[in-house]
Amino acid sequence: MKQKRLIIRSVILIVMVAAIGYTFWSHFSTERGLVDEGDVAPNFVLRDLEDNPIELNDLKGKGVYMNFWATYCSFCRQKMQYLRDHYEDYREKGVEIVAVNVNESKVQVERHKQRFDINYRLFIDRNNLVTNAYGVATLPTTFLIDENGIVMERQLGAKTEEQVLESLDRLIPGS
Amino acid sequence: MENVKCECGHVNPFGTYLCESCGKPLIEDDGQVADMRYEGVARRSQTYKKSIVDKIWNFFSSVKVGIWIIVLLLLASSLGTILPQEMYLPPGERASQFYENEYGTFGKLYYQLGLHDMYTSWWYMALIAALGISLVICSLDRFVPLYRALKTQRITRHTKFLERQKLFAKSGQIENIEESFAQAEEILKKKKYNIRKDNGNILAEKGRFSRWGPYVNHIGLIIFLIGCMLRFFPEMYLDEHIWVRDGEEVVIKGTDGEYFLRNEEFKVVLYDEDDELYRESLERAGAPVVQKFQTSATLLRRTSTNAIGSEPELEEVKHHYIRVNDPLTFGEFALYQVDYKLNELAEFTFTIEAVDEANEEDLSEIEFTVNLYDPEMVYEFENGYRIEIMEYFPNFVINDNREPTTLNRIPDNPRIIFEVFTPEMDPDEDQGEISLVGIQINEELNGENDYRIRMIDVEMRNVTALTIRKDRTIPILSIGGIIFMIGLVQGSYWNHRRIWLQNRDGEIWVAGHANKNWHALKNDFQAITKNTAIPMPIDQTEENLNERSKEIEGVEDNNGSTKQ
Repeated sequence: MKQKRLIIRSVILIVMVAAIGYTFWSHFSTERGLVDEGDVAPNFVLRDLEDNPIELNDLKGKGVYMNFWATYCSFCRQKMQYLRDHYEDYREKGVEIVAVNVNESKVQVERHKQRFDINYRLFIDRNNLVTNAYGVATLPTTFLIDENGIVMERQLGAKTEEQVLESLDRLIPGS
Repeated sequence: MENVKCECGHVNPFGTYLCESCGKPLIEDDGQVADMRYEGVARRSQTYKKSIVDKIWNFFSSVKVGIWIIVLLLLASSLGTILPQEMYLPPGERASQFYENEYGTFGKLYYQLGLHDMYTSWWYMALIAALGISLVICSLDRFVPLYRALKTQRITRHTKFLERQKLFAKSGQIENIEESFAQAEEILKKKKYNIRKDNGNILAEKGRFSRWGPYVNHIGLIIFLIGCMLRFFPEMYLDEHIWVRDGEEVVIKGTDGEYFLRNEEFKVVLYDEDDELYRESLERAGAPVVQKFQTSATLLRRTSTNAIGSEPELEEVKHHYIRVNDPLTFGEFALYQVDYKLNELAEFTFTIEAVDEANEEDLSEIEFTVNLYDPEMVYEFENGYRIEIMEYFPNFVINDNREPTTLNRIPDNPRIIFEVFTPEMDPDEDQGEISLVGIQINEELNGENDYRIRMIDVEMRNVTALTIRKDRTIPILSIGGIIFMIGLVQGSYWNHRRIWLQNRDGEIWVAGHANKNWHALKNDFQAITKNTAIPMPIDQTEENLNERSKEIEGVEDNNGSTKQ
């Protein structure tokens, strides 16, 4: 009788605490992105400044450093310069950089490329279709996608050169 | 802590005040009238204090604690209304500065205490959670024993129970008790009482269901709170924003790229000043009055299943004029009109002219239009002129490093750096004339120019802002609300009345109880005592009052002053 009462009370309390706990967790934890660690990265097609398409599925077997950026985002600028300095090394190791501009004009992206001497391809996401599908709300946002097309990590905000290199190392296929 | 066995044979939980079955008082007290709250059952929580689970349970089971939670919530909720919450700040304002600038020290304090974003703060949510727990436990702890007591109550109650009811009377030795009881039964049946008989004793009961009113009400409230909580669960609630320019197609967030919206035209319609109907009130208003904000919208659906980003094939699904409170709905989504922007810059049209008026070159053929969302990089003309855009800043600012840059990609303050090549120049070798052009700005950047770029036309577009709403919690919230109201009505407009008529060795014992509206119960007693041998019960509490007031009057008479 007393045992039963204890069990009933415990169950009721646990159910309530669990529900409330989940509510708090989902409200206060850094929100999980629309696309996040462990998810299959949604396939997309984007065009670079020369109008050549790239499809994510064609990059299977390579690690993909997918970076959403804009010309007016100063943290993006730093990050893109680190990437420029190390792009050649990592391309040989099987890491591809996909720099996705969030729907700015072609002039701006082209001039940006010239001014900062960027050596990897820049893609413009017309109408933000990919940006929305990946749930990108702040810039820069980076997705590390492994050789099987699975998201390894979602990174928000500025990163140091060491952090960028560490991410690139993780992306080397088979590492 | 053992269970208590009453002399009638019923086993009661420890802490029971009145036997659940026969009503005999199990705990002696001095009062003349029994405390009938919750039928005198043991509210278990109040009597057991053992494990940690029991302690938590008992804490939340207390009505006192519940009331405190409600009071704190009321105080906190009103605090949050003193200054506007963060989400209602004017666009572009930062909370960290806004409160201090606008409201001084108080505003700063308000911000530092976190009251600017109070309703989603951890402690406010914790209070709401505590209220929910308190509701569940309080209700359970009271409903279960009360239900059992009312279910197991015997018809023949203990004499001590009857004696200590508020309404009670007994007669002397009477013949033909059965006859009186039969008459009373008829009358009570007509009054829709539920009659049960045992051994010639009668229990007439009416409106027991009203006792469940508060619990039904609480169930409604709990469902409502669950509905609110579910908003934090995935897939239950969506609240997104999109801006759509006239003529533009934009993907609707939250639909996995399946739906798009085309804004055919946004407009603000004003009341017609020439219309007789409105003239007078418009004159009173003294300014144009908006009749409606309207987006002529077409909903599109993607038919191709290509990878995202590739040009989607779209088919039109439906068209709707979105107005305030008249959303475009599809599936579980609704698009509401929330904001707008009139006359956003869209296109500039330029020509060039010679600075030197003596120059009679015909440049009229040079006319080009720059799309401010996506300008061309080069504009070439048949007469050999070539104009390149060197830099484009849609929303021009000078940043902290004193470099020109853009704030975002919205052409609110566009500046373009043009390079003009005349037919004689070689674009790869020579440097053309460079100038910075914007609204009312035309600066020469490399010495004096022979040609000036002149803006001859501007095109603007309206932009509409829509909120995308999906709320699966609405049905839960409405059901909660409906149940809440049912409980409220059930407990407020009906009452639980009981009449005990007992034949105790040739004497009539009569007692009554109502959870409220004693007046109605007294009327019922009048009906059954009028033409029968049943005595009219006396209100024992009123009797006490009369006695007390007599005493007080006595004091007054003696001393000439009132001591109360």
